[in-house]
Amino acid sequence: MAELLNSDLWVEQYGDMLYRYTLVRVKDPDDAEEIVQVTLLAALQAKDSFQGRSTEKSWLFGILKHKILDHFRDLKKHRTYELASEDGPDPLENAYLHNGQWANAPKNWDTDPHKAAENSQLVEALSMCLDKLSEKFRNIFVLKEIEGLASEEICKEMEIQPTNLWVILHRARNQLRKCLETSHWNTRK
Amino acid sequence: MSKNSKDLSWMARITRWFGVTCEDTTPLISELMDHNLPLGKRLRLKFHLGMCGVCRIYEKQLEIIRALARKLGEDDAPTQKDAGLSEQVKARIKTALGDQN
Ligand SMILES: [Zn+2]
Repeated sequence: MAELLNSDLWVEQYGDMLYRYTLVRVKDPDDAEEIVQVTLLAALQAKDSFQGRSTEKSWLFGILKHKILDHFRDLKKHRTYELASEDGPDPLENAYLHNGQWANAPKNWDTDPHKAAENSQLVEALSMCLDKLSEKFRNIFVLKEIEGLASEEICKEMEIQPTNLWVILHRARNQLRKCLETSHWNTRK
Repeated sequence: MSKNSKDLSWMARITRWFGVTCEDTTPLISELMDHNLPLGKRLRLKFHLGMCGVCRIYEKQLEIIRALARKLGEDDAPTQKDAGLSEQVKARIKTALGDQN
């Protein structure tokens, strides 16, 4: 009975937190809900292994991270990570003059990485732009830049060639650049 | 051909690097964010960045995107503050947890 109460508390205390964390990585709300549920079920089963070495919160987030990776592994079974037309063209395709110099020079965003990260409007703009990527690009970018997996690990898990991974990341970054430039920097004065 | 290219002095090779264009450089900038580049490529990249302010802006943009992504990945990122599980879903999860017990 005490255990039941405890797991009910998890839902109240950590449910939204876990859900938001998942939603950044997994775009689909239904998938995200499912992952939170699977996480809490796994936590309940592994309850005895929790020995208070970490806080309950970080223990749950640790399990959640594994379940999110499992989700990406499952997705891989249904789709290929080869480049396809649905992924859109490389935004840099026509960005250069014939002599290889920039035709449309990137704009100075007038900030630096540290300052930018403190700007919640900008972080939100990135979140919005991320949702505009194709599912494949989004997943790979998330694994690399948000989950922080090593390139080798992503290639192994997603069964893609290193050159393919690199092309996807390069194009994803360029699409994000373009999106941020139009959605954020263009609207200011 | 192999004889000729072997005859290229290191000065000649460096001069070649002068010819590296922005178009050649941008993919290297992105690539270096993901893994180490061979020395030759790395030097060419540094060399071009040393003279090209536009590519330095591009490099900075990619660094900004990386910083934003890391921030977005934190436990309590300043996004989707209002997102949460609906009461219905919470109830469903509680039931599932209860069945498990
Ligand atoms: Zn350049």
